[in-house]
Amino acid sequence: MRILILGLDGAGKTTILYRLQVGEVVTTIPTIGFNVETVTYKNLKFQVWDLGGQTSIRPYWRCYYSNTDAVIYVVDSSDRDRMGISKSELVAMLEEEELKKAILVVFANKQDMEQAMTPTEVANALGLPALKDRKWQIFKTSATKGTGLDEAMEWYDTPCRTFTEIFKPLNTPRFDYKTIILKLK
Amino acid sequence: MQKTKEKLEIALERHQDSSIKKLQEQNESHQVSRAKLAEGMSLALEKKDQEWMEKIAGLEKEKAALSAQLEEMMEQSLTLFQKRDDLDELEGFQQQELAKVKHMLLRKEELLSQREQEFQQKEAELQSANRGLSEARGKLQALQQQQQEESCRLNSEFEIEREELLLLREEGDKKISELEGRCHELQSVIQQVSEDFQMSQNMVSALEKSLQELQTEHDTLKVQQQKAAVTEEDKERLLVELQKKVFSLERRLQGNLSQDEHLQELLQEKSSLELSLEETRAELLSVRTNHADTVSSLEAQVSKMSCSISELQTLLRHKDDSSRAYRERTDAQIASLEQQLLESSERLKSAEQQVTEKQQHMDKLQGEVNAEKAFLDQQVCLLEQRSQEKASRLEESITSLQADKQMLLDKLADLDKQVIQANSILKQRTEELEQCKTELNSRLTMSTEITKSLEETRRQKEELQKQVGELSEALETSQQELSSISDKLTLREEDIKTLQNEVQSQQVSLGQLQEEAEQLEGQLQQTELNKESQLRSLREELLSQTQQLDSCQARISFLEVEVETLTEQLHSPEVCEEDQNGSVTVDDLDHIQRVNRELEQQLSDKNRTIKQLQQRLAELKRTLQKELKLKPETEAEGKEKSPESRAEKQESVNLDPPPASAPSPPTSNTTVTNTSDLNDSREINFEYLKHVVLKFMSSREAEAYQLIRAVSVLLNFTREEEDMLKQTLEYKMSWFGSKPSPKGIVRPSISGGSTPWS
Repeated sequence: MRILILGLDGAGKTTILYRLQVGEVVTTIPTIGFNVETVTYKNLKFQVWDLGGQTSIRPYWRCYYSNTDAVIYVVDSSDRDRMGISKSELVAMLEEEELKKAILVVFANKQDMEQAMTPTEVANALGLPALKDRKWQIFKTSATKGTGLDEAMEWYDTPCRTFTEIFKPLNTPRFDYKTIILKLK
Repeated sequence: MQKTKEKLEIALERHQDSSIKKLQEQNESHQVSRAKLAEGMSLALEKKDQEWMEKIAGLEKEKAALSAQLEEMMEQSLTLFQKRDDLDELEGFQQQELAKVKHMLLRKEELLSQREQEFQQKEAELQSANRGLSEARGKLQALQQQQQEESCRLNSEFEIEREELLLLREEGDKKISELEGRCHELQSVIQQVSEDFQMSQNMVSALEKSLQELQTEHDTLKVQQQKAAVTEEDKERLLVELQKKVFSLERRLQGNLSQDEHLQELLQEKSSLELSLEETRAELLSVRTNHADTVSSLEAQVSKMSCSISELQTLLRHKDDSSRAYRERTDAQIASLEQQLLESSERLKSAEQQVTEKQQHMDKLQGEVNAEKAFLDQQVCLLEQRSQEKASRLEESITSLQADKQMLLDKLADLDKQVIQANSILKQRTEELEQCKTELNSRLTMSTEITKSLEETRRQKEELQKQVGELSEALETSQQELSSISDKLTLREEDIKTLQNEVQSQQVSLGQLQEEAEQLEGQLQQTELNKESQLRSLREELLSQTQQLDSCQARISFLEVEVETLTEQLHSPEVCEEDQNGSVTVDDLDHIQRVNRELEQQLSDKNRTIKQLQQRLAELKRTLQKELKLKPETEAEGKEKSPESRAEKQESVNLDPPPASAPSPPTSNTTVTNTSDLNDSREINFEYLKHVVLKFMSSREAEAYQLIRAVSVLLNFTREEEDMLKQTLEYKMSWFGSKPSPKGIVRPSISGGSTPWS
């Protein structure tokens, strides 16, 4: 399973990644580049890519889109000003041909902040209800408090079952890489 | 002791005093004399000085003359040296040339010897080839002889065998003819014998017929005899019966004596019976005798006949035997002869076959011999051709070698001539050298004289030079001081230069920075212009909106006024014409109220749009402010603030007063990140590239495979390069497959096609 964590800079992508992997809040610096970690959740192995969200390196997101099963789009719920930019980025991303079959999970992050928007507000601001042909779900999360992530993974777990069946050969000692690729094709 | 001591001291003092006095006196006198002497000496010295000065002047003149001479001599000597050098060079050249010539000669001789050796080798090869040829020929001849001998031998053998076989055949033919003759004879004999045999057989058959007749007679007689025997037996049986009757009758007679008559009768009967018996017996006997006689006669006849038959048979047998034996013999002989014939014919056939085989073999051998001969002839021809070719080649090489030799000899002669010429030149040069040497000797003698005079002058000069040296030492010290000062000066100058360089470099960097600043300013101006234009358009929009708003409000006010008037009218008609226009006015009122509501809705919509536009305006203003904030930093970096930019900034600040409705400015964090974003976009790109490439290199193949796209986008890889990278990673990940070859993209930097070495 290949998951991309995307979002504007300072939305808390790296914090979410390490919260999911280690279960701890880590101090982060702005990600110039990306972090990739394997997150195990209920015997499911996810390869999670956290791509840096700064304006100048956002164009490089599209380099990572191929073979992506799910996108976690992290939004800073307290940053009302840049919600429009966030929306335009999300829309541009969803128009990509390589992500047509990817599941969209939106994390309305930083819910612990006072001026945070509610998930429905965030969803409306991002224009999620208007989306067609897209399986999406929004969750209110707080990476620093660690709330909401488990529910998200729980929801995420169910559509992933079909993928795990494809990836079963990976658990056998001698798997044939090419057959898996053929299966996926 | 003390006295003596005192005395001695006194004496000593005295002595001292006196001696001092004496010394003083002496000193005075000495000083006087010294002064005198000094005066004299000074006078004399002055005189001498003057003299010396004069002398020095003269000497200097002499020195000048001598130096002139010296220069001349030096020139002469220089010319001499030059000539000498020239001569040496010439000699060197000559020697070099000679050495070259010798070297060339040696090389040519070596070449010649090599050629000769090659020639000899070729000759040896030729000889060996000839030898081989002769050997081959000898072999061929020997082989031919051998073959001829073999064929002759075989021929002779075959002929002998043939003759033998012919002889054998003739013998066989003779034998066959003999045997045939004998056979004929034997056949004639056999025919005679067979005729005899037939005759005898006829006789035999006749005899047998008679024998058969006799035997039939004999049989009939035997049958009669048997009949007679049978009748005899019957009579004998009758007799026995009668005798028994007689006996029984006799016993009855004996028992029955009374019956005499009967007895008598019986006796009579008996006697008659006995008589008849005897008669029959006699008859029988006579018959028997007759029969026996006939039988005996017949037997005699038979015996005779049988005797004759037996005789005849014996004869026949003899004849048969003899004929059989003869026949057998003849048959055996014939058979043996036929066998012999067959054998001989077989032998003949085999011999003929052998002969034919031998002849075939011989033919074959002769064919082979001919083929071999032809082959050998061809080989011989080939060898001869080859040898001829070789010989021709060798002759050619010989001729070429001889030509080379002649050429070499010519060259040698030329070289000899050159040597002679060179020698003659050498001689001339040596003569010149000798002349030059003699000249040189004379010059040398002159020069020695001159040197002698020179040495003298040198001595004088040295003295003078000492004085000069002192002066020069002083000068040197002053010069040293000067040099030290100058060194210091140079150091200072270097410092100054370095400082100037630094200044220049700083100026250059300043210029660069200024350029950068100017560029940035230009960019800023552009962005500001854009923003301003945006702002203007927005303002215009705003103005239009406000105008619309105003118009709307005006309309609203107008409408309100209208409404008021209408209400007034309504009131007034209500008052005046309540009954007439009541319904109409109510309808009007409703309509107006509806219009009013609609207009109010429009107004609220417009207000909303105005608010949105104001928000957008505020955003744009904020971004502009950010950029404006950013600008001083870049200017600070450039260490130069252009008045233009400042003015622009001021302008922009003046143009964009922070609106009251604008939302609170973003948090410091975001602004910082934003500024850094915009400012160090390139740096961030580089850092991003670095990070991605580092991850790509350090991660596992599976992850690296996913990073190919990013790397290729960042480094502007072509499609082929990206595909190549993918293929290599796939190859690394999988157990099978072959390493993909770089398809012309990453090719080793070799310019042009591979050129062969030769």
